[in-house]
Amino acid sequence: MEESPSMDDHQDSSLVVGVGLCDSAPLLWRLQDLKTVRSLGLVGALLGSLPRTPRQNQRLGRPLLLLPEEEKLLRDEEAAGALPGQNQDVGGVELQRRFEEDQQRSFEEQSVLALEDRKSALLRAMTSSHTGSESGAEAVDEALRRRLEALDHSFTFPQSAMAVQLSTARAGLSYCPEARAHLQANWPIREQNSPRSDARCQVFRDLRGRGFFLTSAGKFGGDFLVYPGDPLRFHAHFIAVCLMLDESVCLLDVLAVARLGSNVKKTVLLCSPT
Amino acid sequence: MGFSENGKQYLLPEEALYLMECGNVQVFYRDLPLSIQDGYERFLSSATVSLQQYQVFGHLKRLGYVVHRFDPSSEPSSYARQLNLPQSRDRAGRQLKRKRSPSPTATCSYTEAPVEPTVEKMEEDKCSLEGDHVKKLAASPDIQTATTSGSDEGRSWWTTDDLGASDKELHHSPTSRSSRWDFSSIPFPDVGSSERHPSCLAPPEPSLLPGDLTVGVCDIASWRRKINLRMVKMSSKEQKREEDKRRRRWDVNKDREVRRCRNWAEYHELLARRQRKRKGRPAHLWNREVTPLHDPRQPIPTGELLDKISVIKSTHLLEGASRLKGSEEWRICFNVYQPDTVADFKKSNPGKPYSRMCVCSFDGPVPDLRVIKLLAFQSGDIPVVFAVVDHGDISFYTFKDFQLPTDVFP
Repeated sequence: MEESPSMDDHQDSSLVVGVGLCDSAPLLWRLQDLKTVRSLGLVGALLGSLPRTPRQNQRLGRPLLLLPEEEKLLRDEEAAGALPGQNQDVGGVELQRRFEEDQQRSFEEQSVLALEDRKSALLRAMTSSHTGSESGAEAVDEALRRRLEALDHSFTFPQSAMAVQLSTARAGLSYCPEARAHLQANWPIREQNSPRSDARCQVFRDLRGRGFFLTSAGKFGGDFLVYPGDPLRFHAHFIAVCLMLDESVCLLDVLAVARLGSNVKKTVLLCSPT
Repeated sequence: MGFSENGKQYLLPEEALYLMECGNVQVFYRDLPLSIQDGYERFLSSATVSLQQYQVFGHLKRLGYVVHRFDPSSEPSSYARQLNLPQSRDRAGRQLKRKRSPSPTATCSYTEAPVEPTVEKMEEDKCSLEGDHVKKLAASPDIQTATTSGSDEGRSWWTTDDLGASDKELHHSPTSRSSRWDFSSIPFPDVGSSERHPSCLAPPEPSLLPGDLTVGVCDIASWRRKINLRMVKMSSKEQKREEDKRRRRWDVNKDREVRRCRNWAEYHELLARRQRKRKGRPAHLWNREVTPLHDPRQPIPTGELLDKISVIKSTHLLEGASRLKGSEEWRICFNVYQPDTVADFKKSNPGKPYSRMCVCSFDGPVPDLRVIKLLAFQSGDIPVVFAVVDHGDISFYTFKDFQLPTDVFP
């Protein structure tokens, strides 16, 4: 995991987070970026399969999807930049050469390890089967040595048995260092200019500034779920519903959202920015 | 997953990406393996499968379902469905392990079919039982009639041999072999005739009565006193006495409405009105252009009455749906099949899907009735599930057609 070169900066955290755009959604791919973003107090949502246990829905893995408010916050604090797009021809040949080198190196390492593995398995099998017998230990040793020698000579590790690694973040990134300026230069502006999104943004900033952690609360009927600390350690205390200051709210809606809140044991906050 | 064409195996982009995430497949582009980030950025777009749709796809596949893309042209038309053509892929009759309650539809014939024959069968059995019973009964009195036809006392349908107190003039019943009721031979006692009759009717034959019912002798003396009365001619003095007795109770002049009548015509009108009111047809309801829907003097079962006076007609979800034109934003994305362990799924013969998915998000609008009708029509008889994606969380909603029950016993 490499960090982008720390530039001279007025911020404490000089780490810049690289955001990739997929279908106009901001996604974070690199592990260091995820850590950075969490240290800034932004939670986001994981979308992908977890590599170790892919066929379950309880714990998901990278990429991390950012809320539009989170993305805006990062951009305003100049802590994020867009990752360069797929390298079409830039360093294509170079990348391929490196890839093949890596594959070869990995293959050699793996064949050595496979041989070691086989030998130890053989050792275990031979010694465990002869533990009871009294007939000469030397004979056993001799047989063992012969077997091991044969293995050394005849063992081949087929290419198809090699374990390959599928990288989550784009492999090419580790080869091309991105500069901060380069990152920010190609950030596509995707503003949502509705007053509602402005209201949401302001509420987000305010609550974040007070130290709360916020995630999306669509399934609770509100805008944000407000946690008093890291979501991994606490349950949410509040459901924040953002309204504009001059928006009139039907009383039935207020009753409905209050009922919802009491059912899930959370307090509903009606938030309006001034 | 995947399909084969031109002798090669192909994978759809979302399937390839899912297999990459599971670590089962490596995709090469220009001799370099794609990372998962590359896969997301290349394979997912609004033209192929959007990120939200892929989230739903991945979620369902990780749960174990089989998810295919939805092709609206491959669905049978509503006419073909109405004909209930036995398609080779039709597995509707099979019982699946996980059953859901289907919405009760008026047009859905095959789910109700198993229920009806059993009901009819039961009724048939009952009829046949009764028929047998009737036949049996018809047979036995005939036999008895045959044996006693010689006796002087006729054999009546009502009495048994014990109570032979039949100086009633009853008709002899000739021995009839027919298994049906021969009404000409069933004697009914003429209780109203002025000839001498005993004051009680004998009980009917116990074999004609159902079950444990026992009927005793019927005393008709009090009733017979009320018939065949002659008119009593009262003398004028007696008549006047009767009238006075009546009049003392009610004086027509004390009636306020009668007082309001200024002439005889109005009084007649008043009387006519009262008469109609008593008979249930008040003038203010029936003498104008707008009359009530139903005349209360006519008997009608409650269910029909409710139908007659109903203002709102109930409809069902698919009414008018065939006329709707498709919309761009709302479309069914996936067919979801249950895995092979629960239902028979084969690539060549997938059978009917478990449900169909339409993907939307909490930021977007809620589907309105028009959209629901359209999607339900496109989907046929398989429920449409709305998968609402909210930044990593997916909620599933479905709408069911429902008829309010009418609590009426005819």
